[in-house]
Amino acid sequence: MPEKEIILIIDDENQIRRLLDITLTANGYRTLLTTSGKEGLIMAATHHPELVILDLGLPDIDGQELLRKLREWYSRPVLILSVRSSEEEIVRALDNGANDYLTKPFRTGELLARVRAALRTGESKKEEAVILSAEVSIDLANHIVRKKDEIIKLTSTEFSLLALLAQNRGRVLTHQFILRHVWGFGYVEQSQYLRVFIAQLRKKLEDDPSKPAMIVTESGIGYRFK
Amino acid sequence: METKKRIREQTAFLLSKGWVQYLLALLITGVALLLCLSFRTESDYHLFSFILLFVVSFLSTFLGTGPVLLASALSALAWDYFFIPPHNTFKIDRSEDILIFGLFFVIVVVSGVLTTRVRRQELLARERERKTNALFLLTRDLSKASGMDEVIRVATEGITTYFSPESVFILREGDARQGAPVGLARSGQLPESEFQIAQWVFTHSRKAGTFTSQPFDSRYTWYPLTGSRLNPGVVALVREHPFETELNTFWEAFITLASNAIEREFLAESAQMVRFLHESDRLYKTLFNSISHELRIPVATIMGASDTMANTTVPRKMQTALSREIFTASLRLNRLIENLLNMSRIESGHITPRTNWHDINDLINKVAGDLADELKPFSLKVEIVEEMPLVKMDFGLMEQVLYNLVYNATQYAPPASEITIRCHYLHGNLVLEVCDQGPGFPENELRDIFRKFYRGKGSHTGGLGLGLSIVKGFVSAHNGTISAANRPGGGAVFTLIIPSERPDITGWSSPLNTE
Repeated sequence: MPEKEIILIIDDENQIRRLLDITLTANGYRTLLTTSGKEGLIMAATHHPELVILDLGLPDIDGQELLRKLREWYSRPVLILSVRSSEEEIVRALDNGANDYLTKPFRTGELLARVRAALRTGESKKEEAVILSAEVSIDLANHIVRKKDEIIKLTSTEFSLLALLAQNRGRVLTHQFILRHVWGFGYVEQSQYLRVFIAQLRKKLEDDPSKPAMIVTESGIGYRFK
Repeated sequence: METKKRIREQTAFLLSKGWVQYLLALLITGVALLLCLSFRTESDYHLFSFILLFVVSFLSTFLGTGPVLLASALSALAWDYFFIPPHNTFKIDRSEDILIFGLFFVIVVVSGVLTTRVRRQELLARERERKTNALFLLTRDLSKASGMDEVIRVATEGITTYFSPESVFILREGDARQGAPVGLARSGQLPESEFQIAQWVFTHSRKAGTFTSQPFDSRYTWYPLTGSRLNPGVVALVREHPFETELNTFWEAFITLASNAIEREFLAESAQMVRFLHESDRLYKTLFNSISHELRIPVATIMGASDTMANTTVPRKMQTALSREIFTASLRLNRLIENLLNMSRIESGHITPRTNWHDINDLINKVAGDLADELKPFSLKVEIVEEMPLVKMDFGLMEQVLYNLVYNATQYAPPASEITIRCHYLHGNLVLEVCDQGPGFPENELRDIFRKFYRGKGSHTGGLGLGLSIVKGFVSAHNGTISAANRPGGGAVFTLIIPSERPDITGWSSPLNTE
């Protein structure tokens, strides 16, 4: 029996914390709970949890600030909890190093899926030469993309974009992050480029480009490679 | 026609000058005398007196008393001198000649008195006509004027034309019926002392200032504006001398008209206010009633179901059913909260869409995903034209729009029917249609369905009736339009049109990849 994975929950709302505790424990995780950001930082350092679930609206310390401090040494996945329609805050948190986000109210099924995906990210190594996604394989070293053993021709920009997404599999990448890494700093406002290229990639790789299964849109935030 | 009129005008102008009249009197009398002299006989000199008398009477019809007097004196003397024998003397022997001689002057006096009277009458009539006309014009302009500013402007123009180069209107403020203190609205340029006088005039409904019994050392004459139901304020004029009787009558008629027009505007304003209050009161009641109902049902479900689960031993199957009920209730609550928040955003008027380029596919997928459970009994068809460009929109707002439209369709359409989302790009606009095969709308309700809290007559589903008004609000925030119609084959169709230029995608590939 493998050791249970530890999940640290930093949230000041009792009901949400209890709900997370029950749900995660019932699904085979070990939970650590705290209401304060400062205590959360200490607990993360002492217990080395596999995943941190962080509520952005904490009373004692700004969530973004806490995230930055945590990211100075903590490299495992961080999942953000936030209220709905605060996209700017979510984008900022993702840019500050969070891996994924959930808006309240959320379905617990969705929560578990995100937790599983985030924990998988923690395991996988970035240097993987070939990343498999269902029928599609990506050979990062040789710039070769195959779908059902057929080589797919991609332009160099398309390949860079795909590689970036695939290397950060399971993680939500913000528009700005992708634009900065694929096009460069001068292009962070040109989100139409990104949309067009995403559409092209989907056309080439997805089974049904109108219902993408691999390159998933996080509305108003960015993209995620599933 | 034109020339005739001009000649008449010029004649009138010339005749209005005194020396022209005298000259004319001299000329005509002179010509008549010369003519008479050329036919002079010893015996019939009375004939000439009649001719000359006729000429003088003729002159008196259009000349003033002075020129007629000149003409008659000249004629009388000339007749005496040249025609009465013995010729070339002023001697008169016969008594009837003295009588005729005197007759010349009697005519002058009589005609002078008569014509002056007629003329004055005529002048007065003309003046009266001018005033009537002015009042008529003012009535017309005032009734055409809409809004207080316009009415004041028209009234001020009238005053400038007829009464005083300078005038000040001060209107009341506050409404006695609503408990606010009634007074005059303070005007910026007016000195405090004058404002005090205006206040006095307003409270006493009596005129004051120059040329009145309450002079108060003001440079204006202040008049109260008196309406039939409320006194809308005061008006001030600057006069060099008091009004004459005629002008005063005119002024009083004028001020009554103006007062009524201003009062009308006040009443219209307060009527509108009352309507507005009434409307917001109605909205408040509706909101209160429907929210308390809409909140209670899901809360009651959650309470009851969870209580049962916690306190009784129910079989596993029923536990699942109960928890599903709780989940449904919470979804309903969540939707309600979302809609109320959206409505308050629209009501506050502070929606500024944060637009960005988006793939319309992403929008449809997001909404279809969120409504997956509701859409299960239906078949969702998505038709997007090939080469659909990116659309510039606020994803969050448009998500709410499409969510509400599709959710609506799921609530009204019969199970197993088809819900279609159709999308194309036309003349710089995104055109998006949501069609269902439900009952559609009664034709007479089509206009009302976007109104707040409007619920269809046959509406069996819960909800606040906010969904479509939110749709309209958010579409308007994008400068777009939304319309509803019945499909020829049955069912409803919502068509939304949002302006969106084509994206600039020059400079395609990444400069970081130059291999």
